[in-house]
Amino acid sequence: MTMVLRSLISLVLVLVATLLPAQSDVLAEVLRKYQGGDLAGAREAVDRAVRSEMHAENPEAWLLRGFIYKDVYKGMPVGPEADNVRQEALESLYTCMAFDQPGTYRDNALQAYDFLVRSCFNEAARALSAMDTDRARKLFADYKAAQLRSDPNANTRDKEIEFGNALGTVYTKQFNAFRTDTVLFDQAVAAYVRVLELDANNYGANYNLATLHYNRGVYNIQRISADVDIPTMAMIQEASKEYFQKALPYMLKAHEMNPSRRETLLGLEGIYYSLQDQMNADKFRQLFELMPPSEER
Amino acid sequence: MGMEGWGPKAMLRMKAMVRAARFWVLMPLLCAAAPVQRDADKDTTAILQANYLYNIAKLVEWKDPAMRNGNFIIGVLGGSNLYQELIKQYSTRTIGKQPIEVRKLPRTADLERCHMLFIGRTELALVPEIFKRLKDQPTLVVTEYDGGMEDGAVVNFVKVDNLLKYELSMANARKHGLVVGLTLKNLAHRVEE
Repeated sequence: MTMVLRSLISLVLVLVATLLPAQSDVLAEVLRKYQGGDLAGAREAVDRAVRSEMHAENPEAWLLRGFIYKDVYKGMPVGPEADNVRQEALESLYTCMAFDQPGTYRDNALQAYDFLVRSCFNEAARALSAMDTDRARKLFADYKAAQLRSDPNANTRDKEIEFGNALGTVYTKQFNAFRTDTVLFDQAVAAYVRVLELDANNYGANYNLATLHYNRGVYNIQRISADVDIPTMAMIQEASKEYFQKALPYMLKAHEMNPSRRETLLGLEGIYYSLQDQMNADKFRQLFELMPPSEER
Repeated sequence: MGMEGWGPKAMLRMKAMVRAARFWVLMPLLCAAAPVQRDADKDTTAILQANYLYNIAKLVEWKDPAMRNGNFIIGVLGGSNLYQELIKQYSTRTIGKQPIEVRKLPRTADLERCHMLFIGRTELALVPEIFKRLKDQPTLVVTEYDGGMEDGAVVNFVKVDNLLKYELSMANARKHGLVVGLTLKNLAHRVEE
């Protein structure tokens, strides 16, 4: 409610002077309804206004529409319908800035626009927490597109890295729960690979990608049962070897970046052991045992 | 002592004392810590070896009629993860009509009679004595070290191109009264006639 009031006051200050001389105008009607808390009426009127020839290129009308849709969005439960309303708000605020050559409304429009952009990212993070990866990806794409639209030089890289690592973690969790669904494995790999494209020195992505491949190789071998004969076992072993070999460079990179991390020492020991490289497995096992836990260093 | 005694400085001193005490209590434990045991379910080598042992047992014939009755005994010396894997996956199976019985053997060369005996690489010190005692026994000895077959093993696990394979000594098999099937021979990485 406080946010609505603040938006409203801000908007009124900007518009009241320009609209007062034209009380009969549709924009005055919009403002009156908006001030009166009639969001539905204001929405209908402002849609009418921007469709009219008189206001189609009027930045004031588009700003008002952006604010009204933003408030409508804020009053809605989270979901695709609210996403569409937010998109309308973003579109309106962007249009306002495009038509507003002197920059009269720019600060107000940009403030609201940035709020909505941030909400896209925050909701993408919340969707990931709820393990809804499809929605999270869509919202993140909305965030990135909206951010770059208002500022083509905006730095979205850090957020993309943060999101990519979180996305990879969620896909990994889902794959661990349904190991036969290899699409989830591929999606987890793609998420981490994308992070490494942006930042080859990202410790988390290197470590997680290594662990993901290693665990897949181990899982294949864990499925070997008494019903598996030697030729079949040999094929399984070959397939697992490829995963262990894929895991190795990422774990080595993580270790190189942070040699005192016990988890990478143990990871390397496990990978080498599974690659039947006893010498290197023993080497990293010893390093692991010599390395005290971080809280004691 | 009242609450006023616990000012920020006193709290910091107390925390430092607790940290120091924890360090000196933990230090001897850390120095004496044994190597961390690998989880059995992530011990890929043990899983592969267990499957090899089971399949090898199915592809070998024991000539001694006494070995064709009762339980089919697989003895494991060292290799506790292998033992666990054999128990988990294979102890309810049979070799022919003989139910499999997996035994974890004590660290001694004075071993019970078994159909198969796996000697882990941690038990190499016992190897010469074991081979001496098993010389004329119908036991299929499996090792996992270079030169295992020269010492008398019938099967030796080897690491080739990042894979676990096995080599086979036909001569040692014959000495122990074992008939090795052609399939087992063909699948071996190396065969010594």
